[in-house]
Amino acid sequence: MAGEVDPQSDVSLMGGRARTLHLKALRKQWQIITLQVVSTIALVWMYLEVVSTYVVNSIDHTMLFDSLESLVGEVPIGDWLIGSGRTGLARFYVPIVLGLGLGGSMALMAFQSPRVQQRIKLGFIVTLMVLLIGRLVLTWIPSMLFSWDLRAPSESELKTLEWPLLMILSLIILFIYLLPVIMGTRGIWGLSRRSIGWAIGFTLLFLGIHAILTFPLIKTQLGDWGSNLISLESQVSDPTVGIFGFDLVTPEQFSLILIAVLIMVFQESGFGVIRYLEYAYRLPESCKRDPEYVRQMDNVLNGHLRHTAGFLTVTGLVTMIALGFHSVLLEVVRTSTGSQWAAQVSESIELSLTYGLVISALLFLSLVALLRFFVPWQRVWGLIESMTNKQPEPVKEKEF
Amino acid sequence: MWTRKASFTFTGGIALILIGMMITNNQMMILGLTLITFIVVNSWVSGHGDIEVQRTLSADNLYKGDDLYVELLVTNRSNRRTQLLDVYDNIPHEMKLRSGLNQMRLNLRPGESARIRYVLRCPLRGHYSIGPVSLRVRNTFNLGVEDMYVDHHSDIVIFPQIKEVEEAFLRSRTPKMYTGATTLRTPGQGSEFYSLREYVPGDPFKNINWKAFARTGDLMVNEKCRDAVTDLYILLDSRDVARIGTVLKNPLEMGTVSAASLAAFFLKRRDSVALGIYGDGLAYLPPDTGDKQYFKILSSLAGVKPEGSMPLQAVTNSLSGRFSRGSPVFVISSCEGDGTVPAAVRDLVGRGHEVTVLSPSSIDFERLVSRIPRMSYEVLKLERQNRLTTLAGSGAQVIDWMPDMDLSQAIMQVRGF
Repeated sequence: MAGEVDPQSDVSLMGGRARTLHLKALRKQWQIITLQVVSTIALVWMYLEVVSTYVVNSIDHTMLFDSLESLVGEVPIGDWLIGSGRTGLARFYVPIVLGLGLGGSMALMAFQSPRVQQRIKLGFIVTLMVLLIGRLVLTWIPSMLFSWDLRAPSESELKTLEWPLLMILSLIILFIYLLPVIMGTRGIWGLSRRSIGWAIGFTLLFLGIHAILTFPLIKTQLGDWGSNLISLESQVSDPTVGIFGFDLVTPEQFSLILIAVLIMVFQESGFGVIRYLEYAYRLPESCKRDPEYVRQMDNVLNGHLRHTAGFLTVTGLVTMIALGFHSVLLEVVRTSTGSQWAAQVSESIELSLTYGLVISALLFLSLVALLRFFVPWQRVWGLIESMTNKQPEPVKEKEF
Repeated sequence: MWTRKASFTFTGGIALILIGMMITNNQMMILGLTLITFIVVNSWVSGHGDIEVQRTLSADNLYKGDDLYVELLVTNRSNRRTQLLDVYDNIPHEMKLRSGLNQMRLNLRPGESARIRYVLRCPLRGHYSIGPVSLRVRNTFNLGVEDMYVDHHSDIVIFPQIKEVEEAFLRSRTPKMYTGATTLRTPGQGSEFYSLREYVPGDPFKNINWKAFARTGDLMVNEKCRDAVTDLYILLDSRDVARIGTVLKNPLEMGTVSAASLAAFFLKRRDSVALGIYGDGLAYLPPDTGDKQYFKILSSLAGVKPEGSMPLQAVTNSLSGRFSRGSPVFVISSCEGDGTVPAAVRDLVGRGHEVTVLSPSSIDFERLVSRIPRMSYEVLKLERQNRLTTLAGSGAQVIDWMPDMDLSQAIMQVRGF
């Protein structure tokens, strides 16, 4: 009587071969790959936005390498690799490609057997050691053997350490600059929550430290070095970016909104992939082969893709509107009252400053949140979905 | 309800806004605002559509150890998607998943259905209920969770296992006993026609002979020949002491299996079987024959629980008046903690019943779960042996049933006493 639950006969098997939820197959599924690609694009875009806003021409790696070269001499990494000699954001193009490659390699390594991983790690350590002290050992020990004299390395022999040390230092500097990209790529493609967390955490940490350092009191204490730091104006200038002909935010604000939204796209797509693959992994064998589970996994992944595109776009737009809401309030006060007091209030600088901006934005968000109780969103969504979705074919009942 | 992630996101957003305001940093404020906006926008979509759940079972009644095929059909009856929905069918903890899974993560389109199919193994007898169906709606980004139930239950009865009992082992010393139904030329309960008689109040309507009524104008009823069947009485001990042992192997479990097997054996031969279950009180099924009685007996046995401490003497005092003269009585009891067993058996034998005591060895069941010192075990075993010998001396056939022994094997011992 008892037996395996058979695949259900009413579900067509595509291409004559049953699709399953085994990780090997699932990782090649277009929705998973799309989510991973979206996440990677968001990561790179977010990184570029952050560096273009805060780092380029202020504290970027080429400036650090220039300082290093002026202190200790030529850096052994080629200029084309570190982006020296280029201007603006172009300084980061090649390092980002390197970071993506390194992160991808680390992800690839994560899928190897523990034995292979151990060998790769061992090989890396040995290479690093050979790179560091290889030349020294090859010159110093033979020299001692030929002269049959136990002695400390000479100055010329110690000079052989300079190149590898500088090389490793340069690589470490690049690694620190590219940490979000490397860890993010490793997290997305290597399915590591911790790495994605590291990428986000490091970005937020950088933003936090930068915010503290650009605080006027601290910035003045930093002297010349502090003046290099890019700080955004706290007073709101005239908005030039908007939608449907309405100017809502300034380009700086738009750039900041974009960073925030891209962080979320990266995070939600990256974590989403891991969450769904974990769910599939935990399913018992019979369910992995069951077309019903496969179909529902498709639905869930399609839903995630739709929501990622829809909700995060709406999030960006609503944030833009929220930030532009203070001008609406000022306009209302100016036009509705017309009194001297109202004119003074509308021209008050506090309303244009961050406090007024944030309070008005929060007011707008509260109104939007309250809309939940006035607008029947469920019905609206239902209407939209019923208009956009085709009705599925009725499921044929199967009897025991 | 917000998830931990949503709470952290909201708190983080507020914290970033406040810190941003303190140090007049636009990036922090805008990042905080975006996080809050993310929560606000996601709160627009909550809940799920109208979900209909339908469960189909491969059987309503099963025997212990059988597999149950369950199919749960989840249909979205609304005009919107269900969003991310975790469906979990609650199963009794006594049942084990053998194949498939009783849960699925789905996102149904309007009108779409999904089937969750799984197989349960039912290792314990009893009355069970599968359900309700738990639904957990998650936001795509895991910001909101809503738990709810669809109050849909499917009841199932797991009967005790029926073991094959060989006829030769149950042959009585009394001639014509256990021979099945034979027709007597006297009126009574039976299947063959005997005569017509006038209707008296209380006669069942189904016995009215309508043709005779039409012919004579008086209500007449059909009388049947009495089937002379053996009335067999089974008394099952379900006292609290019967739980000794493991969940699957204890005197009560073995007792229910033997009672069900004996009942099945005799009912198949068209004998009448009565069942008395004593523990907390006395539950008595009067003797009857047929499939209906078989179902009644199995249902009663499925629901037996070890509780109470009713002595056997109280049972026999209460029931012996109803026992047919000379009919065989099976007492299924470990005979532990009941000093009235010898007297009760002596009383039954004295009334002319052929008494068989089927006694699962509770000491050996106890050994399955706890370590008994060898000396104590030997003493307890000897005490039990003396008790059974006393019962045998009273004129009963006594079967000492060891945990690893099959029912047929145990019944073979009858010859030894």
